[in-house]
Amino acid sequence: MKVERQWNTLERDTAQRMEAAARFIGPGKQVKVEDVVPLLEAVVRPGDKVNVEGNNQKQADFLAEALCKVDPAKIHDLHMVQSSVPLAAHLDVFEKGIAKKLDFAFGGPQSGRVATFIREGKLELGAIHTYLELFGRYCLDLTPRVSLICAYEADREGNLYTGFNTEDTPVIVEATKFRKGIVIAQVNKIVDKLPRVDIPADWIDAVVQSPKPFFIEPLFTRDPGLVTERHILLAMMCLKGIYGEYGVKRINHGIGFLTSAIELLLPTYGEELGLKGKCCTQLVLNPHPTMIPAIESGWIEAIYCFGGELGMENYVRARSDVFFTGPDGSLRSNRALAQTAGHYALDMFIGSTLQIDQYGNSSTATANRVAGFGGAPNMGCDAKGRRHSTDSWLKCGREVPSMNELIGDMPRGKRLVVQGMETFGEGRAPAFVDRLDAWKLAENAKLDLPPVMIYGDDVTHLVTEEGIAYLNRCADLETRMAAIRAVAGYTEVGLRAKPEETKRLRDDGIVKTAADLDIDPDTATRDRLAARNMRELVDWSGGLYNPPARFRNW
Amino acid sequence: MANWSKLQTRSFLESSARDRAIGLVDEGTFTELAGPFDRMSSPHLVALGEAVEFDDGVVTGVGRIGKRPVFVISQEGRFIGGAVGEVGGAKMVTTIDLAIGFADELRAANPKIAPDELPLVAISFETGGVRLHESNAGLLAHAEVMDAFQRARGKVPVVALIGSRIGCFGGMGFVAAATDVIVMSEFGRLGLTGPEVIEEEMGKDEFDASNRALVYRTTGGRHKYIMGDCNFLVDDRIAAFRGQVTELCKLPVGDFEQFRRIGSAALVEKQMRAVALAAEMQPKDAYDVWRRAGNNDPAGLGDAPVDDFRKQAQRLSV
Repeated sequence: MKVERQWNTLERDTAQRMEAAARFIGPGKQVKVEDVVPLLEAVVRPGDKVNVEGNNQKQADFLAEALCKVDPAKIHDLHMVQSSVPLAAHLDVFEKGIAKKLDFAFGGPQSGRVATFIREGKLELGAIHTYLELFGRYCLDLTPRVSLICAYEADREGNLYTGFNTEDTPVIVEATKFRKGIVIAQVNKIVDKLPRVDIPADWIDAVVQSPKPFFIEPLFTRDPGLVTERHILLAMMCLKGIYGEYGVKRINHGIGFLTSAIELLLPTYGEELGLKGKCCTQLVLNPHPTMIPAIESGWIEAIYCFGGELGMENYVRARSDVFFTGPDGSLRSNRALAQTAGHYALDMFIGSTLQIDQYGNSSTATANRVAGFGGAPNMGCDAKGRRHSTDSWLKCGREVPSMNELIGDMPRGKRLVVQGMETFGEGRAPAFVDRLDAWKLAENAKLDLPPVMIYGDDVTHLVTEEGIAYLNRCADLETRMAAIRAVAGYTEVGLRAKPEETKRLRDDGIVKTAADLDIDPDTATRDRLAARNMRELVDWSGGLYNPPARFRNW
Repeated sequence: MANWSKLQTRSFLESSARDRAIGLVDEGTFTELAGPFDRMSSPHLVALGEAVEFDDGVVTGVGRIGKRPVFVISQEGRFIGGAVGEVGGAKMVTTIDLAIGFADELRAANPKIAPDELPLVAISFETGGVRLHESNAGLLAHAEVMDAFQRARGKVPVVALIGSRIGCFGGMGFVAAATDVIVMSEFGRLGLTGPEVIEEEMGKDEFDASNRALVYRTTGGRHKYIMGDCNFLVDDRIAAFRGQVTELCKLPVGDFEQFRRIGSAALVEKQMRAVALAAEMQPKDAYDVWRRAGNNDPAGLGDAPVDDFRKQAQRLSV
């Protein structure tokens, strides 16, 4: 039956709010710093879904702090829907009773407080997502009513330049604005002419020049000086036993030192193995400084970026054959598109984890921290919707003995999902455990599920100093568990390995030690790194890389 | 044993105390004295239930550069941050005394002995100073090393090499200052109070220890070179440190006085002028002093490759 109703209530409601806010918004949509809190009180209503832009890199920090200053008597019970909550202000809104519910993807430094607040009933958790999953929900059931975003510059009309750190901005603005939501931007500077327009002015409702430039974290900078010989051994095994073995071309590297070591070994050990041009040619990756030697040695054809990385601006600009740059020359990163490429177009994800259980499930959660997922699970899984093929994807799938149990004789590939870590991590904590701390966290923070970063059935390869476990070659769970035990060293899981079983797995090519791969651990030395310190990265870049102060030892 | 030729191209910053010691002198000439097989470790650490090392974190021994016997002391930062305790300190003092005794012996046997055949002491510092687990004994060791320097003065030159991870801080910063010559790389750091301690005591506004660029331009090799706190700035290679020591080995002991930064009435006056300048300038940053020394583009100079830096840097004169 046809309903009788008004079909533009959102539009009318927005118009009402904007009318209340009109006196704070000047020409060019500009708002004075001192008017930001009253502006927020005018446009935000109790119970609204509100997005504060911020991820693991750039932060709309000024607006986040302004939101903490609104009167909780007027504005309360907000439902925060945002990528991450790394700033104190992101949690302060819950402490003050301004916000009530949270849907997010990544915790960062505040993840301990998230767990505490949930337990104390100050915060009601919707769900922990991956980035792409959350962005998907922005466009469906978690559409922000008001979004507080950040950009480098605005012009006199309100067009925005997000440039190098475009990151999440397009998806937030698109989801908000096209469902009649309100978008407020903080910018570092208001200028006459932008280098390029990333977000058009008519998608923006108000602009404020923040007193300080927005905070940005150089999260993907790894000092080569801190790469250990253990990292180098693992990296050599990965290059020979996985990159070379499968001829993997399209890759995402996680954030840890293992992948930094791999990046720094490409021009040296990788070339010794003859892999240049055959492996690691296209990447979905932030502009990692440790990639500079590989790029300069001609390994890399293309890199698509989730976000920027402080200090890499000029280098990226000067390497436009490799990076995606705008007509103005600067990088355009885009997290949603990078995650899409990461989910569908990668042949391999390789990263590290904190804990892995006897079945191969892995998690970065600890008992008292709601760390969240970020983007790793989008890439650290087999994309079930993938329909194009590559050699490495087909080879990895062909090696799965149980494939026919589900789809008969139909051939299908499989993404390589590699987890590499030392059997004992920081503070001598075992990486292999019987039961993940994620279970305890689920209990402590009242979660429906233990937060698992990568499920065991998605992991195809495990790499430790003991060797590589080719889990994709295991016919059943029993074999997988035996292969995991075989590389788990002296952890409680590893101590249950039986020598005769491990020998059988090595004979079958399911487990390979460094010796099986013909790698002498004594040759895993730092001399092999293409750059051994930050200075050498700068030298490789021809002076184009400009490391943040905290990474300079000169 | 490490391959000597390979060691030469190795980063000094990244090398262990033993590799530095072996690589510093001529190939195959290094003999370790009171080495790990002699198992001289700290009784204090045992009493505290802490792990020990059989060389107590200091490598001592003797080798040759050309005809010159070179007594080497090399501290290992990976063992308790290179902190100096009773046993390690005693090894340092004894090594210097061995060099002095040997010099006396050689001179007695041959009064006309060529200057480049007489011993030299080289100390590769990597330490935060006293080992707090055995603080009294450790402090005493600092004093004894300085005392040994006084005995060596005019007889055996003492050369400090600073370019390792931990730098040279705490009481050992004083000890290094009391040597005849200081050779640093740009990654070497020399000072009294370490950056973290300053931040803890005075606050982040006074000194942000996480700002490595600030830390290095305040305590690092380039700044110390401009200030005259170190005499030579070399590349971060064992061969580069070795090359500088080899040059110094050609000089008679009397020539080493010219390199000293402290230890005479004239030098005290010079130090006082530097203090007066600091009071007058009230510098907010090391770069202010670089500019005062005649470097118009301190930031550019700080960023330049070390070779260009050496060519262009104007050193402060007071």
